[in-house]
Amino acid sequence: MSQPRGRSRWWASAIELDSADGTEPDARFTFANERTFLAWSRTALALVVAGLAIVQLLPPFPGVPWGRHIIGTPLILLGSAVAVISYLEWQSSQRALRRGEPLTRSRLPQLLTVTITVIGLVAAALALFSAVTR
Amino acid sequence: MTEPADDIEDADPGLARERTELAWTRTAISFAALGGVILKSHTYAGIPILVVSAVIWQLGRLARAPGQGHARPRHLLLITVAITGVSLAALVISFLGSGLGGFG
Repeated sequence: MSQPRGRSRWWASAIELDSADGTEPDARFTFANERTFLAWSRTALALVVAGLAIVQLLPPFPGVPWGRHIIGTPLILLGSAVAVISYLEWQSSQRALRRGEPLTRSRLPQLLTVTITVIGLVAAALALFSAVTR
Repeated sequence: MTEPADDIEDADPGLARERTELAWTRTAISFAALGGVILKSHTYAGIPILVVSAVIWQLGRLARAPGQGHARPRHLLLITVAITGVSLAALVISFLGSGLGGFG
């Protein structure tokens, strides 16, 4: 934070919070924002674990090569997307708290709903296809 | 400040500090569980995850410390980086590692 301005590194904007900007919010709000981020992080970790478990532990779909990968890989990618987006949303919420602006609505619930629905439909289609063509 | 507060609500309004510390602990336990499971088959991936879990546990205790009520971007970024790393490892394991009964 104390490094000279102008020669900012690529990650500087990621950890910078414009401490000079606005006023320090009530600690309760800061803590609540932090807990929300942590809750999304656990969700992200669970998605990654679920994807890995599907690929590694599920018995293979007969007649569908790479069937488990088709279901598991998107879950792993979704997990890392949730991890990154939840951090960006934490940052923008903290900024809004400092400035006394309204909080922006999170896009994560919609992303999670749409992606998991699609993955579920694909999984159902794979299971049916595998059962029919066996 | 020097006298202990009569009411817990004065020292920790809404128990926000305590709830935040517990949230960090839950996150650390999630990492520990994953690290323990992965350790069995992929030791090289499991040990770093367990180390991260211990670090997160300690960062959570810091959330409870007096005078700590400010935003801590670096600590949170560590978690995001750790999960991104875990998902990269998961991709490598799922495409190169040996699963149950070959492909399909």
